Parts: sequence; C-alpha cells; structure tokens
Amino acid sequence: MISTVEHPELTVCKLGTNLDNLLEQPEGQRILSCIQCGTCAGTCPYGDYMEYSPRKIIAMLRRGMIDEVLQSDSMLKCVACYSCMIKCPRGIKLSDVLLPLVKEQTLIRAKEMPAELQHSLQNTLRYGNPMGESSRKRAAWTAKSKAPVPIMSEIKRPVDVLWFVECYTSFYNRGQDNSCAVARLFNALGIDFAILGNEEKCAGDCGQLTWESGLFETLTDYNMVIFKKYKFNKIVTGDPHAFNAFRIRYPMYGFDYEVWHTTPFLAEYVDKLKPKLKKPLNLTVTYHDSCCIGRRAGFYDEGRTLLKAIPGVKIVEMVHNRMNSICCGGGGGGMWLDTYFKQKDMERLSERRVKEAIATGADVLAVSCPYEIYRFEDALKTIPHEKPMVVRDVVELLAESLVEE
Amino acid sequence: MPTTPIKNEPVKIGYYICHCGTNIASVIDVDAVAKYISKLPNVVVSRNYKYMCSDPGQKLIEDDIAKYQLNRIVVAACSPLLHETTFRNATRKGGLNPFYFQMVNVREHNAWVHSDREQATRKAIELSRAAVERVSLHKPLEIRKLPINPNVLIVGGGIAGIHAALVLANAGKHVYLVEREPTIGGHMAKFDKTFPTLDCAACVLTPKMAAVGKHPNITLWTYSDVVKVDGYVGNYKVTVRRRPRYVIEELCTGCLECIDACIYKEPKFSDEFNLGLGKRKPVYIPFAQAIPSIATIDANTCIELKTGKCKKTCVDACGDRKAIDFKQKEELKEITVGAVIITTGFKTFDARRILYYGYGVYPNVITSLEAERLLNAAGPTSGEFLTRDGRKPKQIAIIHCVGSRDENTNKWCSRVCCLYSLKLAHLIHERTEAEVFNFYIDMRTPGKSMEEFYNRVAEEGVNFVRGRVADIYPDPSDGSTGHLVVQAEDTLLGKILKVPVDMVVLSVGLEPDPASENIRKMFNLSCGSEGWFLERHPKLAPVSSFNEGIFIAGCCQGPKDIPDTVAQAGAAAAEAFSIIDLGNIEIEPNTAYIIESECSGCKSCIPLCPYSAISFDTEKHKSVINEALCKGCGTCVAACPSGSIVQNLFEDEEIISEINGLLEPIEVK
Amino acid sequence: MENENKNKSGNGNWSPRIVAFFCNWCTYTAADLAGVSRMKYAPNTRIIRLMCSGRVDPQFILEALARGADGVLIGGCHPGDCHYVEGNYKCLRRFRMLKRMLVDMGIEDKRVRLEWISAAEGEKVKRVVNEMVAEIQELGPLGIPKKFEEWDKEIEDLKHEIENKEKEEVAKQ
Ligand SMILES: Cc1cc2nc3c(=O)[nH]c(=O)nc-3n(C[C@H](O)[C@H](O)[C@H](O)COP(=O)(O)OP(=O)(O)OC[C@H]3O[C@@H](n4cnc5c(N)ncnc54)[C@H](O)[C@@H]3O)c2cc1C
Ligand code: FES
Repeated sequence: MISTVEHPELTVCKLGTNLDNLLEQPEGQRILSCIQCGTCAGTCPYGDYMEYSPRKIIAMLRRGMIDEVLQSDSMLKCVACYSCMIKCPRGIKLSDVLLPLVKEQTLIRAKEMPAELQHSLQNTLRYGNPMGESSRKRAAWTAKSKAPVPIMSEIKRPVDVLWFVECYTSFYNRGQDNSCAVARLFNALGIDFAILGNEEKCAGDCGQLTWESGLFETLTDYNMVIFKKYKFNKIVTGDPHAFNAFRIRYPMYGFDYEVWHTTPFLAEYVDKLKPKLKKPLNLTVTYHDSCCIGRRAGFYDEGRTLLKAIPGVKIVEMVHNRMNSICCGGGGGGMWLDTYFKQKDMERLSERRVKEAIATGADVLAVSCPYEIYRFEDALKTIPHEKPMVVRDVVELLAESLVEE
Repeated sequence: MPTTPIKNEPVKIGYYICHCGTNIASVIDVDAVAKYISKLPNVVVSRNYKYMCSDPGQKLIEDDIAKYQLNRIVVAACSPLLHETTFRNATRKGGLNPFYFQMVNVREHNAWVHSDREQATRKAIELSRAAVERVSLHKPLEIRKLPINPNVLIVGGGIAGIHAALVLANAGKHVYLVEREPTIGGHMAKFDKTFPTLDCAACVLTPKMAAVGKHPNITLWTYSDVVKVDGYVGNYKVTVRRRPRYVIEELCTGCLECIDACIYKEPKFSDEFNLGLGKRKPVYIPFAQAIPSIATIDANTCIELKTGKCKKTCVDACGDRKAIDFKQKEELKEITVGAVIITTGFKTFDARRILYYGYGVYPNVITSLEAERLLNAAGPTSGEFLTRDGRKPKQIAIIHCVGSRDENTNKWCSRVCCLYSLKLAHLIHERTEAEVFNFYIDMRTPGKSMEEFYNRVAEEGVNFVRGRVADIYPDPSDGSTGHLVVQAEDTLLGKILKVPVDMVVLSVGLEPDPASENIRKMFNLSCGSEGWFLERHPKLAPVSSFNEGIFIAGCCQGPKDIPDTVAQAGAAAAEAFSIIDLGNIEIEPNTAYIIESECSGCKSCIPLCPYSAISFDTEKHKSVINEALCKGCGTCVAACPSGSIVQNLFEDEEIISEINGLLEPIEVK
Repeated sequence: MENENKNKSGNGNWSPRIVAFFCNWCTYTAADLAGVSRMKYAPNTRIIRLMCSGRVDPQFILEALARGADGVLIGGCHPGDCHYVEGNYKCLRRFRMLKRMLVDMGIEDKRVRLEWISAAEGEKVKRVVNEMVAEIQELGPLGIPKKFEEWDKEIEDLKHEIENKEKEEVAKQ
C-alpha cells in the first residue's frame, strides 16, 4: 500500500525543481492559488519565532522578493513537521517542496552555518552517519541481540524483507534497544528478513534540508546501488525519516520498492502477534504520532492498534494527537539545531510535547521513532513531573510483552 | 393537416434564395445560384427574392405549391435556428406536410463570413444542391403533441419548496408537497433571525408554513419519501411512501395532550430538530409551529411500539378523538404529475472532519446551526446563550469557512457563512455582551444591503481577525475551567494570536445532502463533481434540469441565501406553470425508432441512451425505443451495428445524400 | 480576408473542400455567432447540421472522404456540456477508433479533426476552420474518388487479365 510504484503521486516533485522554476511546476501552480489565510503560520510550532512564516514566504515568492527571505534565518526554524502542509486549504506542498528549497538556499547564503548542524552533515558525508561513528561498526549492535539478525552479504540469498536499520538505531544505546526489539519481533513472527550490515548508509531524510543537492544525492546514489545488489520483496525500516525518504524522495531517483515502517508493518501482523503477547504490562500509555508516519503518511491507528494488543495497556490521549500532534522538534535538521534554538531563546518542542504527555498522567510515552526516544527522555529531565514517566518505542513495549514459545 | 404521401408521386421541388435586402445578395450572386439550381433534376421552380421571410415571400411559396403542384420546398436564407419554423409554416399553409421542407444557411454561414463573391456563390450552390438532394428523401412527419397532467410534485419542504408550492397553488394548480421530516420548514425554521435585515425567521416563515398546511390546492405529505419515478414530461408517475407516524392525521387536532400524558414524565430522548441540544418524548412535535401540527410517535423510543407493554396513557388522553393508531402501516401513494420541482436543500458540513477544531471533543465548540438553536427564543435554552456548563460566556470566537474553501474538505465558498457569522456575532454580542472574535479568510458580503450589514456589525465592536484558525486546544494554564485557546495568525499583523475564549462557534459550510443521491438517481438529474444538482444552463436556464419538466430550486442547486432561494423557487414555479398550463406540448419529431425486422438484438444501443429510452423486449429479442422518452440526439443511430435504428429528420440516407450533394463535382457553365 | 486569398493561391487553383458536422446546440450556434459577428474565415467548409455530435456515424466521415472531401471537421459541445448529456463522449470514442484506422489507411492525421466549440465560441470556429484549411492546403488533395477510379481500373485490368488467361487456357485445351 505504500509502494510508490502504484502511487506515483506520492513523489514530491520533478527532479531539478528549484526556487526559480517552482512557479511553473504543478506544485507551483498550487502556490499561485494560495489565499494567504495564515493557517500555515498559525499551526507552525515555531510560527511565533519566524520573521517569514510560510505564508509570507509565499507572498514574497509571488512578488519576486524571495531574496529578502533568504537573508533571514526563518527557515532554519522549520522542523519539517508537515503541520502546515496537512492543514493547508489549498493543498500546497509546503514541507515537501517549497520550504526545503528555501531552507537550502538560506543555508547556502548563511554567513555561518550552525556548528552542530555542519558537523553532523559532514559526518554523514564522510562516515554515512551523522554521529561520525565508523561505518565498520554499523552492525556491531547485532552482538547485543538475543535474536539472530542475518546480514545480506553473508546469507547470500533473496529475502522477503530487507530491514533498513538506520543510524540512531545502529549506534545509539537506546536506539539499539529498539533494534533488538524489532529483531525479536521479526523472529517471533517468522519473518524472512536480513539487514545490510556495514554496507548500509544513512537514508538521508534529515539531509532533507539539502535534499536537492550534494549530500542527499550522494547517499541516494550509494544506497540505490546497494539495493540493486540484492534480491528482496520489500524494505522495512524503524526510522520514520528513512521511511519518508524512501517513500517520497527516492522515487525521484528511480527507487520503486515497496516500503514500510515497522509500526504499520507490524500492525498488519497484529492478529498473529496478539496471542504471543502474553506478559501483561499494566501501564497507562500515551502515544505520540510522529510526523513522517502520522501526518505525512496517514498511519495514526496502527501504533494504537499495536499498543491495544498488549495485555494491561490502557491508552490515554494527549491534547494534540493524530494529525494535530506536536513535533518533537527533531525533523528537518532540528536534531542538530538544539544549541542554535537555545541561543535564539526558543522553547524546545520536545519540552512542549512532554508537558502534554505528563498532563495525561500516563506511565509511558510511547513513540514510533528513534529520534523521539532521545529527545523526550532528555526533555523529561528538565520538565518537572511528580509521577514518573518513561519513553518507549512501540516495538520495545511489544517485545517486553512478547513470550516466545 | 399532414397530407398523406402519394406513393411514387414524382418529386417536384421549389427552390428559393433570399437576398435578405443586400445582406446575402451583396456577396452571393443569387441569380446565378437560382439559375444553377433550376437545372437540377426534380426542380420545378427556382427563384430569388428580396425578403423570403416577409409575408409576400411566404405567399410566393404557397402560391407556387398550388400553381406547380410542388411537393418539396427548399429555402436558402438565414440560419434555420431563426426561420425554420416560419418556412415550415408556409409549406404547411401551401397544403404540404411541413417537414417536406429543408433550409439552407447562406447568411450566417456564408454571406456574412466570406467576401470573395465567386467562392461564396460556389459555396451557396453546393449547400443548396445538398438540400435539394436531401429534401427529395424527406418523409411526412407529425409534430408530436403530448397531453400534460396539470399537477405538480414538489420534493422538499424547506423555504424553497414552500414558496414554489404556494405560487402554484395560488395560481389554481394542484401541488403535492413531499417532505421527509415530520414538519416542513427546512433549515430556516431553525433560525432565530435572518441576515441582513435581522427580521425574525419564524415571523416570516410560519405564516407561509400555515398557508401550505391549509391550502385546498396543496396535498402535504410529511414524514414521506419519493420511492419511484416513471414516465416523462407531462406524465410523471411517482410513488410516495408515507411512513407511519402512528397518529391519524385527519383525526389529530394538534391539542398535544398525548404528549403531556406520555408515560415518560420528562423528555428523555435526543431531539433531532434541536440537533440533540434538547430532549423530547417518544410522542412529540418538532416545534410549536410545526406544520402539520400533528404529533408523531417515534417507533425507536415508544415503549408500546417496542414492547407492546405500555399503559398507553397517550391513547387515554386522546380519548374520543381516537387519533392514535399503533397499528398504522406505511402507505404507498401513486400520483401522476406533469412537472416536478426538486427543492431538497443542503446539509451542513460535519465539523468533526476537521480534527484540529475539536468539535465533538470539546463541549464548548459548537456549530453555527447549534448556535442558531441556542439563540432561538423557542429553542432548547429559550434563547439563553450559555456554555455547556451553564456559564455566561465572556469571550467567544466565531470561525468562518469551516468546511469551505478547503481542498481537504469542500472546495467551494458556501456563500452564506460570512453573512450568517456576522449575524451570529451581532446576536451573541447583544445577548451576552461577550467579546466576539470573528476569524475570517476573506470577508464576502456581496448582495443588496450586505456590506452595510457588515459595517453595522463592525461598528458594534466585534473583533475581526483576518486569519484562518489553525488550532483549538484547552488553555494549558487552567485546563479545568474549560477555557479554550484559539490559535491563528492575524495575517494583517503577521502575528500569531492565541485568544482564550469560553466558546467557539464553527461556521460550517453548506454541502450536498448525500441522501439526495437517491433523488438524483430517481429523477435522472445531473450533478457537478461536488454533488450539487446541475442546472441546464448557468445563465439562461438556472432552474431547469436536463430533463424536460423537472426543475430545481434552492440550495440543492448550490449554496445560497434565503432571498435567492425564494427567487429561484418562484422561477421554478413559473417554469413548471408554463408547461402544465399548456394542456399539451409540441415536440420536434426527430425521435429515433427501430426497424424491428433488422434489429439483431445485440443491445449495444441500450447503455448509450442517456434517457433510458431504449429497453429490451425479451420475448421478441429486439430493442425497443420509447418515443416519448427519446430526445432525438441520434447517438444510438450512429452506434447501431446493423443499421436498424432510424432517426426521423436525420435518416442516414438523408445525411448521405446531403454529403453527396455537397461534393458532386461542379460543372462550371 | 487574408486567409481567403491565401487559399486560392498556391498549389495551382486547387483549394481544399471540407465537410463539417456540427451539433445543433453548440457548434452550429457558434458558427451562427461567427456570422452575426461578421468574422471572416476561409470559404472551404460546408456545414451539415446534426442534433448532436453523438449522431456522427463513422460512415458519414468515410462517405465524405470517399466522395471527394479533403478533410472532415466535427464540432460538438465541450465535455460536460452536451445537450444530451454525453453524446460528445460517445463521439470522441468513435472518433479515436476511426482516426487510428484512417491513419493506418494512409490518410493523414490532420485531415479529420474533432473540436469542442461552445455556442459562445464564434472566434474558435474561425480559428479552427482557418487552421484546418491551411493545414490541408499544405497536404494537398486527398483525391479518393480519383483513387477509386484508379483502383477500379486496376481491378478491371486484373479481371481482364484473368479472363484472358482463362480464355487462353480454354483455347489450349
Ligand atoms: C447556520 C446557518 C444560518 C443561515 N442563516 C441565514 C440567514 O440569516 N439568512 C439567509 O438568507 N440565509 C441563511 N442561511 C441559508 C439558508 O439556510 C438557506 O438559504 C435556505 O435554508 C435554503 O432553503 P432550501 O429550501 O433550499 O433548503 P432547506 O432549508 O435545506 O430545505 C430542504 C428541505 O427538503 C427536505 N428534504 C431533503 N431531502 C428530501 C427528500 N429526499 N425527500 C423529501 N424531503 C427532503 C428537508 O428535510 C428540508 O425540509 C443560513 C444557513 C445556515 C447553515
Ligand atoms: S449536443 Fe452538442 S455534442 Fe451533443
């Protein structure tokens, strides 16, 4: 259902679209139809802090005054949360096309790139992951996994599922917990899968801010070559950003595999999984809809369906949920702009989100994205709360309840 | 009138080319044309004349018919769309069947668009020769006359249906008014005041409703639906289902004693008329001035109807009147009508579809229609406008364009929301003294007195914010008190506003009622991609449908306010009147028929007909065309693989002879 | 005016003959409008009025070409505007099929054309007719009747040949 082969409309735009030719493209014609209603600015989590809100950017673009916008750092504050895009009454592809283009040009013109961001992008280019870890250690986490994790280059046979692990889930401690959980669930469900191991490199979605040029294309080219090396039926990834990149950007470069994120993928197996979830957890859980699988892809129920399958789990909702969910602030490069945002005296979105989670009185803040674990756990350290709260990926909770025969 | 053709009678053609003053003659050598035509086979008379359409011109044709025993006439002049009828009449007056005539367009299609005399003359000759060849094959035809049933059916008893019904009934025509709810009145009956005049809706509406209820020429069937439609203009056969209301209409006096006496001492069930804001009993009338003023018993909640074990205190209260009948069954009524007016109105947008406005989640987010009920003195709160928890609101937001102008929901502008939002702002401000914020995208107030109304409301101190609301959520600082924050960009200031309010009114748009899809199918109406019924022509036939004798009026055709609705209803009534008052209608005999012996029974024509005029005779294994339904487009004729369908006036042979006549090489003399 | 003159010049004295089938409700009315507005266009079309473009039988088109037309123009209401709901779609479908066949038969694509022209588009009648005349002028005569004659002659010759052969054989025996 997510295959871009069947849904060519999922791809964002024609390759080679830039700010100069945008208004001549179909996406640009939508921009010409903008009624300046301000929904985008009103819903933007950082709308308060932007000199040029998306609405103003459109107005400036249409007046031929976009250069003025590029002098401002407004677009660095865009966390690519898709909130403006999903609510836009004119269906303008803001987060897909316009805003990344503006962001890219802003960065090109910036006198100084925020150091943390620059560092991460350089790492990604050099090592294939933003944290600058050795690419030879990418598969090292598998040693931690109790369940077997086959590697494509070793098993030398076609598989059903190519599991694209991604960076945070390979290198970070808490991310590795996530990966181990997925490995257990895949094994328990008898899924025929393998990973790319050390051959894998970052999918590059958060180089979304540079998607049109250099870095993203380097990564795309690299990964496409690796994909062609092996035979598999579909790609599954636990990282919503990789999922997003494969789903809407890679097709511009000829990618046409069926692609899933683990949450909706596992939700397809819920009937098979449920009898194996024997250990009751007795927890009140609130579920955070991540931007790329929620708003951008429309998977709202899947995470909740999986949580409901766990005995003893009670779901409570935050004020902003589903399409109205508040971003953790990590998208579009936000992951590496925390220091910059702090300098600008901006509220951390992860903190704003965590406050809502705390207000529900839940024990667990459940997520579907490895960025969020890291961001929310961090935010919980600074936001005072009486009742203890932990952050868990849905797959971690499933694995915790799983009892293998 | 029509002369029977004499078999093998030799064809004798009279040909006339008109000068049209100098309009034609200055470009075309009419003399040369007439001369050329005179030499063609079967042409007995060939003339040119200054004004063929004048009386002497027509007389010329009549006289020639008598003098030369002509039996075919060709006139080359202006467009047939202008004078075909004139010359057909002249042909008829001369004693011939009027369809023994063919017209050639040498003015609009020739003299007026060309200036080269030689070329134009040549073209006139070729066109005339084609007509001469064609007319020889013409058959005598009869203008069809169909009798018309003088009654009219109106479906939907909103203000549109009510107005149309009264116009026709006052003109002495009999009207059947079918309404699905227990009362007529539609949306208007729910409002407190109406923009821009702020006159009370009930004061203008209820007298009209009462007039419908007691009009001798109106048969009012409420709680009823149309279930079947057959026939054609002048003769529609319609079946109406009357659902049981378990009260005999003729016997009920509208005293409402049964309601008081109901075993349920207090109203307990959600009241549909008040959109669930109030409660009603199983036996109820929707509102005090409902028409007909008759109680209805709801089978889903009445104990007797559900279990058969009620004390039936209502029956006791009714006493000798004996109006309550628990055994009432649904009734099917068959009626015949000459014309139909569809006035099924609209439905309001379901605000739940825009998740971020929190309708259905936050009790103090209400729709505009609910606001109308709360403001209505006869409404569930007797006109008190309070929050759900009974507080008097201090700040209120009214959000325009909810479910309008939005690619994600409905793309169109609903046209009345800006204005009724202004009305609500005024009324709420007046009743509660609350501070009101109207969030709008563009303020649309076209129409007579509308801008003045906007001006007035602005002067009253309502806050207008230009920006579409992006988020509504409980005030995080005091979640418990039910305050909500409305977040939007004030696009004129370029600032994000977070306005704390006690209540939010969502000005929901108007959309086609999905239930009317059924009506659309039964009456074979067209609709645009949005689902509004399509008028035949947006400017020149705004209340006609594509089906003869079926008209549309009011909001089922598209969003509009009450004045426009009433204007359309009046127009539809006049159009219907102009059909039924004639007694019969004349129809161009260009219908198609099937030569039974040649039909192979392949059925390929059947799905092609947009009017379902073709059916299949399973016994004979042949297709049959119902001439009364056929509109004469000829699509089936062109598609018939065995060539067994013939279209009168446009037979294959006639057209081919025309082609032939056009192309025969010209001998230049 | 200009167009008219152009049509006479070039390619000897030959100028194309085009048969047009216009629906009564839109395109025929548009042609009337062109007249009322005194627009000038090439005099090469001969319009046949039908109630709807859905009435256009492919046979009519073939017939016109066979009898010497150099091109055929069909005019109907715009999609969604057909007076008979969807006669124009039916026409379009047939037109597409016929067109493929004609091209296979070596009849140039530009000779047969379908246009949606609403009752308000007198200007479009003028434009389309002028364009088409210019294009066909370029292509030259189609001359099917002449070809028919040639083919008839060929067949006739063939018949003679066979007959002669048979005769010869009979003679041999
Ligand atoms: C909140 C709100 C406030 C408004 N305020 C104003 C105002 O102040 N001034 C103004 O000019 N306009 C106002 N309008 C617009 C006004 O409501 C419409 O112009 C008017 O109601 C249209 O009347 P109608 O008869 O076409 O449709 P409706 O009022 O919708 O009536 C249609 C009727 O047909 C019946 N029906 C539907 N389907 C069937 C069926 N299949 N069989 C039988 N019966 C059927 C329905 O039950 C209903 O009784 C407002 C609209 C809204 C939503
Ligand atoms: S009536 Fe014009 S195309 Fe059908």
